[in-house]
Amino acid sequence: MIEVVNVWKSYRSGIRWVEALRGINCRIERGRFAFIVGPSGSGKSTLLYLLGALDQPSNGEILVNGQNLVTMSEAMQNLYRREQVGFIFQSFNLISNLSALENVLVPFLPRGITADQRARAGELLKQVGLEDRLDHHPYQLSGGEQQRVAIARALIKQPLLVLADEPTGELDSKTGDEIYKILRSMQHTYQTTLVIVTHDRRFITPDDLVLEIQDGQVALESGAIADGSSWPNGSKAEGSAGSNGEDSPGRGVSLKAGE
Amino acid sequence: MGVFAWRNLLTRPLRTVLALIGLSVPILGVMGLFSVSNGLRDLVGETLSQIEGVMIIRENVPSPVFSTLPASLADDLRRLPGVRAVAPEVWGIAPNIEGRGMLVRGLLSKKGMGSVFDQPLISGQDIAAHMNLNSAVFPRALKEKGEGRFLTLEDIGKPNIVISRKLARDFADPQGNPRKLGDSLRIADKNYTIVGLYETGSLLLDVVIVMDIETARSVLNFAKDSISSIYVEAKNPGGYDALSATIEKANPGVDARSMNEVKANFGSLMGQVDKLLMMTVSLALIVGIVGIINTMLMSTTERFVEFGVLRTNGWSEANILTLVTLESAFLGLLAGIVGCVLALIGTTIANQFISGGVHLGINPSLLGMGISLSVIMGTLGGLYPAWRAARLVPMEAIRIGSH
Ligand SMILES: Nc1ncnc2c1ncn2[C@@H]1O[C@H](COP(=O)(O)OP(=O)(O)O)[C@@H](O)[C@H]1O
Ligand SMILES: [Mg+2]
Repeated sequence: MIEVVNVWKSYRSGIRWVEALRGINCRIERGRFAFIVGPSGSGKSTLLYLLGALDQPSNGEILVNGQNLVTMSEAMQNLYRREQVGFIFQSFNLISNLSALENVLVPFLPRGITADQRARAGELLKQVGLEDRLDHHPYQLSGGEQQRVAIARALIKQPLLVLADEPTGELDSKTGDEIYKILRSMQHTYQTTLVIVTHDRRFITPDDLVLEIQDGQVALESGAIADGSSWPNGSKAEGSAGSNGEDSPGRGVSLKAGE
Repeated sequence: MGVFAWRNLLTRPLRTVLALIGLSVPILGVMGLFSVSNGLRDLVGETLSQIEGVMIIRENVPSPVFSTLPASLADDLRRLPGVRAVAPEVWGIAPNIEGRGMLVRGLLSKKGMGSVFDQPLISGQDIAAHMNLNSAVFPRALKEKGEGRFLTLEDIGKPNIVISRKLARDFADPQGNPRKLGDSLRIADKNYTIVGLYETGSLLLDVVIVMDIETARSVLNFAKDSISSIYVEAKNPGGYDALSATIEKANPGVDARSMNEVKANFGSLMGQVDKLLMMTVSLALIVGIVGIINTMLMSTTERFVEFGVLRTNGWSEANILTLVTLESAFLGLLAGIVGCVLALIGTTIANQFISGGVHLGINPSLLGMGISLSVIMGTLGGLYPAWRAARLVPMEAIRIGSH
């Protein structure tokens, strides 16, 4: 249901152009739990944000559920973001002036919040274990709790797709485990497609789809990799070597020579 | 969204308060200036509306008090066509009353600058001639709101006076009660009997002690064959401007001020004042708008990530624009209210000190103007920062925060 066809994205950095994505192709079926992994600077976040119509590719097509994000009007993009995609960020990104409940309701704030939506927000916060923190503001919540609010915010629109950029990047590993437990159970309950950018392969299970990005391209695609410690050699030899983690100076780093 | 915008202001109280000060001070200034102009307008308008006819005085003097004319001029004027009545007057600043000299009076009155307007004046009237006037101010003021009687032929040469209720209060008897009819008032070293009390309501007129012209000459040491001014009435009300032109032409060195002319002069003076006010207002507006832009730019710049997050949740550019503009309009509203309250307090206090003269007026429409001006300033000043915040590419807005 997500189809990425030969997508390029370049940024201007001073007088030079940085090619963050260089002809990405991939497919993510509806209802999958998908991971995007790869070295730092390889273009993972860029791809994720393009899937959320937060920016436009320089070239190529992105189809989500049959809708072409590239040719979509501004108004349709707003609608798409409000109703079909949920975002979860590494740094939680809650609105500090709003309570947990109001943060969950943020997508609906401009049009006025109905009692129905309010009840659903309360229900979601209960599901992520925050039923007694509805009126707390972000500064009164721990990192893990803030991220749970963010998950509820992503889910309140009953989205087709949830996009998460390093959702456990700022959490300790125990809290990270909890977050993944919630994400998996939520995905099970609501049957949404989840795409998660991470460099922590601990959370990948055999049934997940894994897209290994390097150099702005998909180096390896695998639907059945259970063990994050190493990649099986031979299946897709091209991108397999030395690609396990942020710190390895792979081709993703040499790409950044242009910066 | 309104509540959210409101909260965004309140969570940065220091900045909001500073911005409020920056905005409310120009508003306060505008209100203050307008209240002074309103006050002047009221005062002079009230006075002018009671006087008609033509006042003849020497050229280039500000008022009858500083004018001397030959007494024979009155007879010359009587011969002019179109003239209905001619009433000579002698004017002067009252010497000490009840032992209080000019200087002492100034010091005793706790009203500061008000004492300029408070200075009692003596008006000596040619009683026979004044009885012919249709539009004499003081007799009418006595009949409408006063008591006792106005001067008649039997008061000629007598120490009888008509004073205002205000003077009766200002120069109360030793027990502190206002002077009554039949009481006497000591001017210089002689006693004068109060036969009438008038009340015009105009602070410029309620300082006049009216007496017979001969009596006034002796109080003021005024020469026998000279007078201060002449009050002239025309046969038909429309003829005043023509009449004053004729008088001035026939008598060089004499200034014939028709009340129409005075009104027109005052009107054009106030027009100039208003132009000046508008310039000040525009300056204040610019200062206020720049202040708002500065505050809102600061506030939006540090909230780029927040706007990015709102955009990722489906907020449109218009939603962001509305949010920021609302915040800034609220700021304007608050500043307007603060400015108006300060202006009300300020003019109330100021009026305590200058109650002898101008009464600073802040009316509801001036308040309304101040507040709407402030809201407009807030809205305008918020537009550019709002536009900048709205135009951010959501992805870049978020990257700013996360990298
Ligand atoms: N707005 C931008 N301006 C310039 N360069 C950018 C911008 N966004 C991303 N890049 C560059 O594009 C490349 C890919 O970035 P990103 O997608 O964030 O990588 P990842 O998430 O895999 O670490 C990097 O070299 C990064 O510096
Ligand atoms: Mg990234």
